[in-house]
This record gives sequence, structure tokens and C-alpha cells, in this order.
Amino acid sequence: MSQYRSIASLSPGETGTIAGYRSNDIPIKVYEMGLLPGEVFTLTHRLPFNGPVCIRVKNNPNSIALRATEADLILIEST
Amino acid sequence: MIEMKIALVGNPNVGKSTIFNQLTGLRQKAGNYPGVTVERKTGTFTHQQVKYQLIDLPGAYGIHPSSLDEEVVYRVLADPQNPNYPEKVVVIGDPFNLKRSVLLYQQIREMGLPAIFVINMIDEAERAGLVIDVQQLEKVLATKVLLTDARSGKGIDELRAALQHQPGEYAAAFDIPEEYAASVMQTKQITGARNNYNAWLTLSQKHHRYLPADQADELATLRKDQSINYHRLQIQETLARYTWLDQQLATTVKDTTKKRENATARLDKLLIHPFWGYVIFFALLLLIFQAIYTWSGPFMDAIDNGFAWLAAATSELLPAGPFNGLITDGIITGIGGIVIFIPQIAILFIFISLMEESGYMSRVVYLMDRWLKPFGLSGKSAVPLMSGAACAIPAVMSARTIENDKERLITILVTPFMTCSARLPIYIIIIGLVIPQTKFMGLDLQGLVLFGMYVLGVVAALGSAWVLKQVMKTSYKSYLILEMPTYKYPVVRNVLYNVWDKTMGFVLGAGKIILAISIILWVLGSFGISERFTNAEEIVRMENPGIDEEAFENRVQSERLEYSFLGSMGRAIEPVIEPLGYDWKMGIGLISSFAAREVFVSTMATVYSLGGTDDELTIRERMGAEINQNTRRPAYNFASGISLLLFYAFAMQCMSTIAIVRKETNSWKWTFIQLAFMTGFAYLAALLAYQMLK
Repeated sequence: MSQYRSIASLSPGETGTIAGYRSNDIPIKVYEMGLLPGEVFTLTHRLPFNGPVCIRVKNNPNSIALRATEADLILIEST
Repeated sequence: MIEMKIALVGNPNVGKSTIFNQLTGLRQKAGNYPGVTVERKTGTFTHQQVKYQLIDLPGAYGIHPSSLDEEVVYRVLADPQNPNYPEKVVVIGDPFNLKRSVLLYQQIREMGLPAIFVINMIDEAERAGLVIDVQQLEKVLATKVLLTDARSGKGIDELRAALQHQPGEYAAAFDIPEEYAASVMQTKQITGARNNYNAWLTLSQKHHRYLPADQADELATLRKDQSINYHRLQIQETLARYTWLDQQLATTVKDTTKKRENATARLDKLLIHPFWGYVIFFALLLLIFQAIYTWSGPFMDAIDNGFAWLAAATSELLPAGPFNGLITDGIITGIGGIVIFIPQIAILFIFISLMEESGYMSRVVYLMDRWLKPFGLSGKSAVPLMSGAACAIPAVMSARTIENDKERLITILVTPFMTCSARLPIYIIIIGLVIPQTKFMGLDLQGLVLFGMYVLGVVAALGSAWVLKQVMKTSYKSYLILEMPTYKYPVVRNVLYNVWDKTMGFVLGAGKIILAISIILWVLGSFGISERFTNAEEIVRMENPGIDEEAFENRVQSERLEYSFLGSMGRAIEPVIEPLGYDWKMGIGLISSFAAREVFVSTMATVYSLGGTDDELTIRERMGAEINQNTRRPAYNFASGISLLLFYAFAMQCMSTIAIVRKETNSWKWTFIQLAFMTGFAYLAALLAYQMLK
């Protein structure tokens, strides 16, 4: 899956589609929250010094914050 | 009358507590779940001859627990023997995240519980142009679906009426995968689960600590033999459910708007900005502490003067004697020592609950995560740490949302360093006595010092967290996945309930201790057996021939106090605390503070009024006038004041916190380490400060 980038590689304002996960060992919460393959989202905020990122799934007013390490586990097809 | 138990379940941020408050009004109470100290909110109401008992379960995304909070939800719903096991469940969902809420609903139905489904925040959804096909949803869910807007109360009456609805036959949406069928059957035999899905849930659970040991062992063997990875099972189920939901609910919600720029996005540009976000957060904190200091001032003065007047008036009215003393010096002074803190506590809780209600608190978690992580904490520790500014007890309990065991333990251990409201009165009085009332750079100097004390609490908490992080090892992975809801105007009713709840909790909980201790102190301070106590009058006469009448009275009073039981206790620890700049009277305050810090001020009030004859002085005036008999300087001078501030900042002096830490960590070892570390550190800091400043 090396051709994929992860959420962590996006800059604020960029949009991506979730393609899969880097490992099977990711928290169940990622699934329960609906961050599933095919979901389209926008990275809205990033904090400096490798801080957490903030994404907003399409058509959802709520945001989801992810630590940089979790963001790096979720792979995207860039659009 | 028929009684019925109803549980409210839902994802976080769906407005569950608003619905709970709407349904129960003030007929609610907070308690704990048996065995765990997750806060349990219950309330009652009667509708059409049925008495409903409503349980507000913690927010959960799914039935598979990944935190202690979610474990409570699972345990209440999975076990019919559980005293909180409901007869019906109300699942509350959010129109923007319908699939996620339905997922939880399905799991609950498949566990064998009847449930109805509520879509809350329907006004927000309509404004955003969402159209929900309720009829279709009712068919898919095989139950009644209600639309509510709990903030305005819309749909609440319909919800009340719908509680009697008997949901129709429900067909499971999730089929247990073929490859696990045999293991599930075996699990069912081991635990006696009601149905296959319950057995599946047990099999896919991380912990089995609530099961009898032999069953847990059998399950562990089963999982090992079949090489079952519980995590894979959970993922498989969640993915299967989402696939099903994507098909079934494809047309249920129609989004009629193309693009919307919401107010939340605009606010977030500023509030979680990499630079301004932090500036705003710290400015807000500074504002809160300035407000606590300045707004509460007039109320405190009024309460203080009121109680001083009441004590004096009562003393006039009642015949002189021990009973008069008990009422005025013991009880009235003691109650005054409780009531005087209500203004600050209420102000603090108003701010904290506004932050929670508006959705800002989750932004704080986001902003702080990066900076708390190096200390072995998570962004979610920000909530316990900030609530620690109110009271360590609910704060320690709120650490249960932290998924990682190590982060949770560290959070619990360091939270009591945060400046709780019980320290506030001590700080306020001491700062008022030893820090001049001037302006510094346009800000009130006393307010700034108070802010400094809060900063000191944070530094102590983070410093010890860092130390603990080095000492403790864990293989658990830590993560942060956090939903940040849209900003909302706080519901005034929710804020008021919360402030009322927490303030009354303080007044009744801490108040009982303060009052009891005040009475005990009065008894110990009014009686004694030594010769100098019983013959105080003769001894004073003999030692001070020709003394005038008023001075004589005062000398007798203080002589009696010094040789009473209480005085003996204070003098016994005086050698230990003298290097910190305290005398034996303050020693009494320290001793009683080990029950709870907040009794310090009321203790000193009782001690000083026992030792004097003048009843009209307020607590503050009495403390300001007191002379340390060892140093012949004011008892509360700059050096001893700073020393006292430091001691109270660091020492673990709250029996309730010790009890709650023991419960939450389930470990005497950590509880004891915390107690010894905090109090030892407090002693050293106070010693250094006094010796350098005196």
C-alpha cells in the first residue's frame, strides 16, 4: 500500500477519500465513528509541532480530531 | 402504581443530558454505580399513572467498550441481574450522524432489549436542510422514531407518551460470521448468555473482569485455542453493520443543501488557531480567576458580616454558658465557614459548565493534547485537570473517559495538585492578609497572586506527571480520537442544574464535615483536664497581679484554650510545624485540614473566637489581628503566609479524595504513594519558603 498517502500528509483545506488503514491494529473508535473507506473529508486544521489534526467528514457539521499518529494510520486516495 | 426503569443511551454530544433534564426536571440525583465510581444520574417522573425511573448512562459510540465509561454502559445493558438493568432503552441519535446512532441502537436491540429511537437536535437539522424519512426509518428499526429538539422542549411530550410503546419484532442486522459460530456456542455454554449475540459480545470483549474467575479463565483458554483476536471481531462487526446501514439508510436522510458555511467553522478558525487558539484559551482562564476573585468579593463580605452579626446577636440573646458557646462559636461560626465559599464555587462552576455546554471543552482537549502528551497525559486529561480546579473528586471520576490505562492512572494521581475550590478560601484569606491590595500592570495584584497559585498547581501536576511517566512502563498504545461538536448556545437550564448540583454537593457533602469538625473542635477547645485549664482564673490572677478586668478575661480565655484538649494537640505537633512558621493554633487548623482543606478557615475562626471574648469581629479581622506567640509577629505575615500557601497547594489533605483515588485506581499502593509524595513535597516546599523569607 506504499502508493497511498495518509491523512497526516494533508495540508489544511485539502480534501481526501479514505482508502484503508496502514495496520489492523487501529482503535475500534475509528470504525465506530464512521471513518470508513469511501468517506470523503476535508482536513480543516492542524496544530504545529506535529500536533493533532482536525478533519470534517463531508456533510457533517461536527469535526473529528486525531493525533498525528492516528492520522498517519488512515490512508487516503488523493483527489 | 406501575414502575418502569428506562435507560437513556446515546453517542456523546447528542444532547442526552438536555433530554434527561427536560424529562426529570429537578427530580434527579447523582450517585455512583456499584463497584465503580462512574457518576450515575437518575431521575423520576410520573406520566399517565406510570412512575418512570430514568437512568442517564454515559455517552458511548458503540457497545464494545474502549473506556471505563463505555464499560459501564455495556455492563448495565448486558446483565439482567444488574440493579440498573432497564426494562426499556431510549436511544438518542444525532441527525448528522444517524448511521452511528443506529449502529448503537441495533446492538442494544440484538442484546434483547426493547428500545425506542429519538433523533434530537431536529431544529438544527432542518435549518441545515436535512429531510428525514421517519416512516422508512421506523420500518428499518422496527420501533417508534421520535423527533425532538430538547433545547426548546419540542417533542418532549411526545417522547413521554411514547415510553409505553411496545417495539415490534426485530430482525438482527448482523449475522455472526460462520467461522466463529462454534466459539460463540461454546461461549454461550460457559457464561449462560441469553442469546448468540450476547455470547459474541462476551467473546469480543477485551476485559472479562466482571465475570466469575473460572468463566474468565475458560474464555481465555477458548480464545487462545481458537486464536481469536477480540479486536478483529469488533472491527468485523462494525464494518458489517456499516455495510448494512449504507444500504438500508441510503435514502433515509436527504441533504437538500449543496454547500454550507457554518458558524462553527468560522469560530474554529479563531478558537483552534495554532496561535490565537492558545492566546484565547489562556486569556479565558485569566478572566475566570479574576472573576472568581472580584465578583465574589461583595457576596463574601456580606456573608462574613452577616454571620459575625448573627453570632453576636445570638450570643446576646442566649444565657451565657457552654450552650451559648456551642451555638455561637461552634455551630454558627462553622456554618458561616461553609456558606462563605458558595459565591466562588458557583462562579467557577458557571464557567466550567458554560465551556462544556457550548462545545468549547472539546476544543481545549484538541489544543492541549500536544502539550500534555510529553507528560504522559492525553488531551482528555485536560478535562479532569480543569475540573480539578473545582473539586478533585468529580475530576478524578471524569478521568474515566481516558482510554489508555497509564494515562488514566497518571491523570488520577496528579489531578489533586490542581487548585480545587476547597483551597480557594484559604488562598483568598491568606492572600488578602499578606499581599498588599495594589495594582500591578493594571491588574489587581491579589488576583494575580491567586492566578499564580493556580499556575503553581498546574506546574506541580505536570511535573509529577512527568516523573510518573518515567517510572511507569506500559505496552498499551495511547490514542486520541475526539469528536468536536458544533458550537451551541449553552442551555441556561443545563448550566443552572449543573451549578446547583455541584454547589449543593459541596455545601451538603463538605458542609457536613465542616459542621461536624467545628462542633468537635469546639468541644475539644472548651474542655481540658490539665491543672492550668481547670484553675486558669487563679493562675492568671497569680501571675498578673493588678490586671484590669477586660485584660483578665482575655488572658483566662486564651489560657484555657492553650491547655484544652485541642490546645494540647496543637502544641504536640508544634515542634514539627514551627520551622514552617506556624504556631500551635495553626497546627490545630492543619490537623483538622486533613479531613478536608476547607475546614482550615472555619477552624481558625473557631480557635480564635474561643481564645477571645470579642464576638463582633469577622473571620478575616480575627486572623489579621492574631499574633504568633513564638515569633511575636502577626501569625499571618508574608513569610508564614507564603509558606502556608505552598503547604496547602501541595499537600494531600482531603479524605474524600483519598477515598475516591483508592476506588478509581483500585490500588492502595498508588493511593499511599500519592499521599506520601504530595504531603512530603508540601512540607519541604513550605519549609524552604519560610526559611528563605523570614
